[in-house]
Amino acid sequence: MALILSIPGLVRVALVRDPDELLRVNNAGRVARSLSGRGGLFNRSVAAKLAVFRTPDGDIWPAFRDRHDPLRAAHQATLESALSDVEPLLQRIAPEIAELGNYIRDGHAHRSMGVVVQQAIGRLFFADYIASEESYAAARTLQAWLSAWPLRAYWIRRSGALKASLDRIEATSRGNMACAHATALAMGNIVKSIDLMRELVLRGDSLAKIEPQDALLRTLRAPARVVREARDGDCVGLIRLRSRTLVLLAVEDARQQRASDPGFAFFADAWNRCPAHSIVPALLIEVWRAARTNKKHSATGTPPQGGRPKSQPP
Amino acid sequence: MSRENDGFVFHRGLLQAVLDVVYRAINFFVTWDHLPTLLGAANLSVFRDRLRAHNLHHTGYGTTSPGWSPGNDRWRSADGSFNNLDHPRMGMAGARFGRNFPLPECVPDSVDDLLEPSPREISEELLARDQFIPATSLNLLAAAWIQFETHNWFSHGVPESGNEFKIPLKAGDEWPKEERIGGYMKIRRTVRDETSRESWLGAAPTFRNLNSHWWDAGQIYGSDRARQMQIRSGVDGKIEIGNDGMLPADPVHPGADLTGFNDNWWVGLSLLHNLFAREHNVICDGLKTRYPTWIDEELFQRARLINGALIAKIHTIEWTPGILGHPALDFSMHANWSGIPYRVLRAVLGKNSEAAYGIIGSPTEQHSAPYAMTEEFTAVYRLHPLIPDDMDVRRLDAAEVEHCKLVDMQGGVSRKFMETRGFANLMYSFGTAHPGAIRLHNYPNFLRQFTKDGQPLLDVAAIDIMRDRERGVPRYNRFRELVGKKRVKTFEEITSIPDAARKMRAIYKGDVDRVDLMVGLLAEDLPDGFGFSDTAFRIFILMASRRLKSDRFFTDDYRAEVYTNFGLDWVHKNGMKSVLLRHVPQLGPALEGVNNAFAPWNVLRG
Repeated sequence: MALILSIPGLVRVALVRDPDELLRVNNAGRVARSLSGRGGLFNRSVAAKLAVFRTPDGDIWPAFRDRHDPLRAAHQATLESALSDVEPLLQRIAPEIAELGNYIRDGHAHRSMGVVVQQAIGRLFFADYIASEESYAAARTLQAWLSAWPLRAYWIRRSGALKASLDRIEATSRGNMACAHATALAMGNIVKSIDLMRELVLRGDSLAKIEPQDALLRTLRAPARVVREARDGDCVGLIRLRSRTLVLLAVEDARQQRASDPGFAFFADAWNRCPAHSIVPALLIEVWRAARTNKKHSATGTPPQGGRPKSQPP
Repeated sequence: MSRENDGFVFHRGLLQAVLDVVYRAINFFVTWDHLPTLLGAANLSVFRDRLRAHNLHHTGYGTTSPGWSPGNDRWRSADGSFNNLDHPRMGMAGARFGRNFPLPECVPDSVDDLLEPSPREISEELLARDQFIPATSLNLLAAAWIQFETHNWFSHGVPESGNEFKIPLKAGDEWPKEERIGGYMKIRRTVRDETSRESWLGAAPTFRNLNSHWWDAGQIYGSDRARQMQIRSGVDGKIEIGNDGMLPADPVHPGADLTGFNDNWWVGLSLLHNLFAREHNVICDGLKTRYPTWIDEELFQRARLINGALIAKIHTIEWTPGILGHPALDFSMHANWSGIPYRVLRAVLGKNSEAAYGIIGSPTEQHSAPYAMTEEFTAVYRLHPLIPDDMDVRRLDAAEVEHCKLVDMQGGVSRKFMETRGFANLMYSFGTAHPGAIRLHNYPNFLRQFTKDGQPLLDVAAIDIMRDRERGVPRYNRFRELVGKKRVKTFEEITSIPDAARKMRAIYKGDVDRVDLMVGLLAEDLPDGFGFSDTAFRIFILMASRRLKSDRFFTDDYRAEVYTNFGLDWVHKNGMKSVLLRHVPQLGPALEGVNNAFAPWNVLRG
């Protein structure tokens, strides 16, 4: 059952945790991705946070495009097609997979694990994508912006860090909004998964015992919350949403109730299916496999294609 | 191009900011229509500023840059381009309709919801006219006038066949069997905008306005050069008039007069087109006398400017206060045109204040978006209940009254009807007949089963409902919210029309958020003296001023160098009554004592 909180002028929000309810709300015709900011101060602040994810000419990041936006469907289909040919893509990012495998097994890497993840994801879009500590810091700033409390959010914006981070991410993504989203926001879940894999390894001999598929199911993480707005009042199953209710879909909570279905984390059967629904599980499986092998690949010093050892100047 | 409305930003002054706060407090206790006249008028000005700041949204131009023609700086181009010299595509024919709401709010329902509830059921249960409800404060010219004006402002084009909406019909529906396709009623879709979409448009659909968006009397002069040349006589700047003193027939549009825009033609339009074609020619005579060296082109274009401004003035200070009979509104519309009548206040507010000296002649301003007519504006101007199903046709020289059906006065038989009854008699008849009230259960029945050339049988009421839905105009409750009014929670809050709330609840299955915009506007209880709803009026407040304020020829270039002193004087001294009396002097007795030409005239005999 959803948790609904409404304080006039302050907040009108519904938190949905149940997997079935979550999917129903996600599919409801009157529940939209774009946020008006109406419904209370909290609703307004959340809408203001998401409103920054536009390019300077106003182009909307794909994850914030509405259901009936023809460009959303087109981008989704194109990207899904590009990411569906998993094997060649995994070969393309084999050096990063090996580096992540080493991190999981040994717990150390020549650069931040997040940078490696960002580069792996970026190279799915551009073979010569190069991540750096700065680009990863930009991604962290944007992730922090989304979850920050008002004072910190104010500081992130006021200090110019937000603008600088957006500019850096868009520059490294060469204007590709899907790449920008993946290397700034979506990558946060993969970083969490890699960290969980490392934790798993630290517990006894998990690396040998746990098969890659099981490792995936135990470490896959979905976004903690996905935000929607009920434009008009609607009854979705047992949930009665008033107009302008901010709907928080607790995807990770719901996924844990459907842990055997990795597709749930990616809304695999919904209109907003993540185009990376095949490649991300395959990537995590490969990382686990790489960790299980004894080979110490290029991660010990040889830079991956397009990458560089930490000691070299940028 | 920046998504931020092509770079246009609304700048609010200190006084406006203070008044905004003050009136938020006042309106918590009292609505604007219950305030004393001056305070009410100031309240409307505050609404307008809020709307200017938040309710103008650009959708891209959808046209290519037009070429420059000599004279574009001095008079209106045929297609409306170069009205704004920095943004020549702004408001030109073929440019996209803008929006009054943020684009994500203007997304049509998904296919499942789009046809719910059935527009045909709404037409039958809520709109169909049981008994004619007259608007007794108006005459029928007021109904013809607004169509005359909307033909100036917008046209979505004639829908073409293919991919029609299939509207389910209930058992027992009297829709003719031969018109059904697989048991459904078909409604053609609005002509699609085939121009390339900007990526920032999101899911909001776009449509193009085939007419120029400007208040340029395009209904008379056309929205392209070819049409303009067709209607001209080529002599002394005049419009072509037949030997009978009437506009000639349009060879490609049987029954219609040859004029700028003659879609949906009927006798009411013919009256006004003929009247203002004559007015144009009289203005040409006046200009020719004063400027004998001017060639045909110069005379035509200058007369067009003057005639267009006169029409805009009549609409602003005669038609509008006629249909919205509230003292604050009357005061505001006069202030829009010529400023407030208080010298001290004028001095305080300053020379450039549109409140003090009127919008006319003030600096041009686009506020927060490039000028364009909006889809929401077209939605609130669905005023078909103004049309009666039948009317009494009177004669000036006799007491006899002929009872005629409107359906016999439109389309292919319009000219014939005009010829047999006569221009003066019909003008008199329109002046003495009432239009319908803009309410539920008052939609003309002949339009609910209407035959139009080249179209399947039409239920215009159902089409009106579908048009708002397919164009992504929010439904009534969200529309209210987006124009700054509170959402309603119950059907009874919308209307006190007997039994309407019950019927609406049944049709909309108890969901007040699903009430269609047009149904809500027709059902809504009206402020005292108003002819249409306060919700529609919010869009009106914004757009009525915007049509003037954004237009260079009503603001920066409303000056003698462009209009001539004769032209400015002509606009200043004339009104609907003087125009009528100049061209139809026989109407003198009927108009005697009538202050507003859109109010009912004197019936002379019988």
